[in-house]
Amino acid sequence: MQLSIESVSKAFPGVQALDKVSFELRPGEIHALMGENGAGKSTLIKIITGLYRPDDGRVTIDGQEVSFQSPRDAIAAGIGAVHQERNLIPRFSVGENILLERLPTRNGLLDKDAIHNEARRYLDLLDRGIDTHTEVRSLSVAQMQIVEIAKALSLETKCLLMDEPTASITEHETEALFTLLKRLRDEGASIVFVSHKLEEVFAIADRVTVLRDGKNAALGEPMSTMTRQKLISLMVGREEHIVNKPQRTVETGTVLEARGLKTSFGHRDISFLLKRGEILGLYGLVGAGRSELARAIVGAAPVTGGEVLVKGKAADIRNVHQALNQFRIGYISEDRKNEGLILTHTIRENIAVTIWRRLAGALGLIRPSAELDAVMPYVQRLEIRAPSVEQKVGNLSGGNQQKVSVAKWLAANVEILIIDEPTVGIDIKTKAYLHELIHEIAAGGTSVLLISSDMPEMVSLADRILVMHDMRLVGEVANDRRYETVSNAIMNRIHAVEEERSTAATG
Amino acid sequence: MNSLLRRFLMVEWSGILAAIILGSALLAWLSPAFLTEFNIYVMLRSFCVALLVGFAQMVTLAVGQMNISVGALGGLVAVLAGGMMEKLGVPMILAIPAAIAIGALCGLLNGVLTERTGINGFIITLATASAFTGINLGITQSIPFYNMPPGLVAFGSDRFFAFPYLMIAPIIATVLLGLFLSRTVPGRHLLAVGGNPHAAELSGISRGRITILAHTLSGTLAACAAILAVAQLGSAQPTIGSDWLLLSFAAPIIGGAALTGGHVSVLGTTLAVILIALIENGMVLAKVDPYWVQFVLGALILAAVWLNRWRAVKTGTD
Amino acid sequence: MADAPANLSYRQSHMTDETISTERPRRGFFAGASAQIGLFAIVALLWVIFSTLAPGFTSPINLFGIGRSLAVDIVIGFSQMVVLATGGMNLAVGSIGVCAVMLTGFLLQDAGVPIPVALAGGLLLGGALGWLNGFAIVKTGVNAFIITLASASLFLGAMLILSKAVPYNTLPPEIGQFGRMRLWGYVSPLIFIAIAIGAALYVLYRHTLLGRQILAAGANPRAAEMSGVPVGRVIIISHTLSGLLAATAGIMLVARLGAAMPSVGGEDWLLPSFLGPVLGGTLLAGGSVAVIGTMIGAALVTTIRSGLLVLQVGNFWLQLFLGLILLAAVMADRYRGVFLERRSLGRR
Repeated sequence: MQLSIESVSKAFPGVQALDKVSFELRPGEIHALMGENGAGKSTLIKIITGLYRPDDGRVTIDGQEVSFQSPRDAIAAGIGAVHQERNLIPRFSVGENILLERLPTRNGLLDKDAIHNEARRYLDLLDRGIDTHTEVRSLSVAQMQIVEIAKALSLETKCLLMDEPTASITEHETEALFTLLKRLRDEGASIVFVSHKLEEVFAIADRVTVLRDGKNAALGEPMSTMTRQKLISLMVGREEHIVNKPQRTVETGTVLEARGLKTSFGHRDISFLLKRGEILGLYGLVGAGRSELARAIVGAAPVTGGEVLVKGKAADIRNVHQALNQFRIGYISEDRKNEGLILTHTIRENIAVTIWRRLAGALGLIRPSAELDAVMPYVQRLEIRAPSVEQKVGNLSGGNQQKVSVAKWLAANVEILIIDEPTVGIDIKTKAYLHELIHEIAAGGTSVLLISSDMPEMVSLADRILVMHDMRLVGEVANDRRYETVSNAIMNRIHAVEEERSTAATG
Repeated sequence: MNSLLRRFLMVEWSGILAAIILGSALLAWLSPAFLTEFNIYVMLRSFCVALLVGFAQMVTLAVGQMNISVGALGGLVAVLAGGMMEKLGVPMILAIPAAIAIGALCGLLNGVLTERTGINGFIITLATASAFTGINLGITQSIPFYNMPPGLVAFGSDRFFAFPYLMIAPIIATVLLGLFLSRTVPGRHLLAVGGNPHAAELSGISRGRITILAHTLSGTLAACAAILAVAQLGSAQPTIGSDWLLLSFAAPIIGGAALTGGHVSVLGTTLAVILIALIENGMVLAKVDPYWVQFVLGALILAAVWLNRWRAVKTGTD
Repeated sequence: MADAPANLSYRQSHMTDETISTERPRRGFFAGASAQIGLFAIVALLWVIFSTLAPGFTSPINLFGIGRSLAVDIVIGFSQMVVLATGGMNLAVGSIGVCAVMLTGFLLQDAGVPIPVALAGGLLLGGALGWLNGFAIVKTGVNAFIITLASASLFLGAMLILSKAVPYNTLPPEIGQFGRMRLWGYVSPLIFIAIAIGAALYVLYRHTLLGRQILAAGANPRAAEMSGVPVGRVIIISHTLSGLLAATAGIMLVARLGAAMPSVGGEDWLLPSFLGPVLGGTLLAGGSVAVIGTMIGAALVTTIRSGLLVLQVGNFWLQLFLGLILLAAVMADRYRGVFLERRSLGRR
């Protein structure tokens, strides 16, 4: 299939998401679509899949102009997609999910055997271990992702759009997927591949289109002419620059201690110390249980055993309210949209939410001017870009939203700050800025527990790194800022645990 | 034993079934009137309307919506059917399908308004409920139509031993609805939209059309319930439906429906209606204040949601 | 800047024209109140129409009657509004109202306690029943709709069982006298109670910690919880407040009728309780309130009811009108939103 997007534009209130963007997909190629968050990738994808209609420009398939009114039209035109969000019906079986919009029938009733046989064919391309009769809600996240991919494959479309398909699956499964995609390409399919991971793009794509600020930064360049640095500079408009922060000596006083912590998520024997002004890294793969541990510490999830000590005293933290006001612990959630921010509220309200208690005077009255005085320094310091502080946070770009969610915890002036994946989905400029900021607040005496799966970020920032795997702490690595040795030491710990377990299982 | 009990409690309708068996045994033991043919007939007859009312709400819950107007819609359909038959002399064979069609249209209106405006279904159906009631009262001035065709009245009161002929309708409805939801494409799509609207839409299912379908079905079922109520009472009362709201939610929810949509149980709803009929019957036999029915129904819903919640926590699904 | 932590060095940010200026935005009293102005215009228009068609509409006795029912309608609207703010709803407002009515009646007539004690008893019961709703919602995690649907039935059933549905007709005369009191010939003092409650709620949501926390919890409970807002407590407080307001409306009704009747409240309050706030611009999704809008919305309902009565259009059609108005209002609001969006796009 030949899919052409010709100078398409799309605007939303307050943003020009796409500005005369073009994209061309040829038969038998894997075409990478890249760009930072907010560059317009997801808008373009939504136009291709019929969720949005462009304000301007043309979309053609094999030379014929098309205008999709809904995802149904896009599917009918031969475009299959794996979306970034989870798109399965939890209470339906795997088989039904795969064939959802065209369930086979016999005499007007569903043909269960046909459903499962048919679904099996597509699932077998990826993973034989998943039973088509299982209800989707009892699958693991990785299995769900496999089902999503099988669902897109089952459409047998000549065009397949994959938006971050590897985000939650293992390396092994990723390899299987890539082999499959290459085979489909060789059979003549056209594949759009969207990923943040440069390595993956280099491994699989034939050509690449890059978006930056809603415009084309590159249009269908062959991958053979690309280098890592060049691709990054196309995405950010300059070259990537990871600066290692100098090593520091940390003060001695312990502010947070965990002793043999257990949680309902399955954490066990979690013990560690966090010192004053220290940046303690908590590294682990997706699913290792890092965010869950953070949630348990701030009281958003129950601790079922062991104890948490704040400044040497046992602390029974039952909710975030208590963590903030009594123990001065803050948690910057990785899930900005659902947990970090109130999108329908203004910048001012979002930042002030943690300090309303402090601002409230007699009878609980809050003076608007006091609120503004408290908020403005952070708005300026973090260079949050918006027409005014009365702007709704939902209308800001991803990077500015993240700045607001950081600002609100800076305003809270906590002593212990747990920062969870601070730079996921953030443009590189904001990322560098946030790194600087984290370093600065630690230098000022705030203790930081930094959760990240971004290894360069970890090595650049942390003083010590705890390694977590499968709900347990499996080691601690001192950080001497030498990327190779530190990252090897961390991965070795994880592999060693995996090996121990497999020998224990077989022996 | 404990684990056996636990596993039993995990089945959605287990609690209701246990309550029905226990309640029946208790009533049979306490009141000799309970197991008489006539009493069973009375109980089964009261079950008919209630079941269709429960189903009318169940289909909207399935798609993740709610229909506050079931009762108002039923009342309107009842008086329109009665008016057509008594004042306009329309034969029963035409009046009843016409009245049911009007019910379907009212449901369609609910669906189209919810879908086209994108406004919360609660507020739309609250508004249409008021409008339907207004038309009902405006037409009848609160005066019922008493002269119903003898055939309809006979259908509403005749019986074969303890089996009321009225019950044929809900039995057919149960079978059809069960098949529809579990074995047909629109039925599955309805549950898919309820389970994850966004996903259903991205899979190429027309969410709008399915939502409208659910509301239309709800209107149709409420209209059928209204016709049965007319047959059962022998007259078209403008007050028909005025007490359906609580019942309509009680039945599917006690039967294990997820309030968030995407999961309903035809069997569970049926058992829930049996339980409610049993309780009402027990109250009548025990000659307690009729106000107790209201109290107990409220308590029962609370108990059911609490049990569902407990089960969700135990199985780790939410 | 006293609040700024010591460890933050204030780097002078290079301000671009996009960064936020320190200039304080002006927030007018009517900021974002276009819906309310439109609503007010409709009410005014109806007054012109009704008073032209039926001169009796603006007679002192009718104005007095409108004022009395308006006061009750406003408070009923508030009792719903305070839970809508949390993103919930309270289908039990009518049941709580009538429970408070009957307890007050019992305390005044059968128990013979002093009037202030009886009124306090009624209010206390309302607050307690509201608290029960909130507690059940927070503890079970089940949505407010179903809990309050069930509790409405539970409360009403319990009231009927206990009172045997017998009204209290021989209350102390002061109660009825207060209800009949007319200031300047046509103003009921009840309306001042409603306005005072409105003013208190306005301050609550605009200027207090609790009010802010309620709105944050209503807009995004998870984000609010993760920001240290005690969401559960806030929801329970809102429901308690709702019960208290429903009881207030009930007691105002006792004053108006001069008797405590078991037939007031119940499901009859359901539609008016939503009409006021929704017409006034309170979002069902939570996180917003419109105190003044709720008052104007209630005025619309009262005006139509009274107008139809004066024009001698059968009371039977009232329900139809109210339903259609609710539909028209929510749809108008919807299309106004779409229009504004288009306009803001056109400007770019």
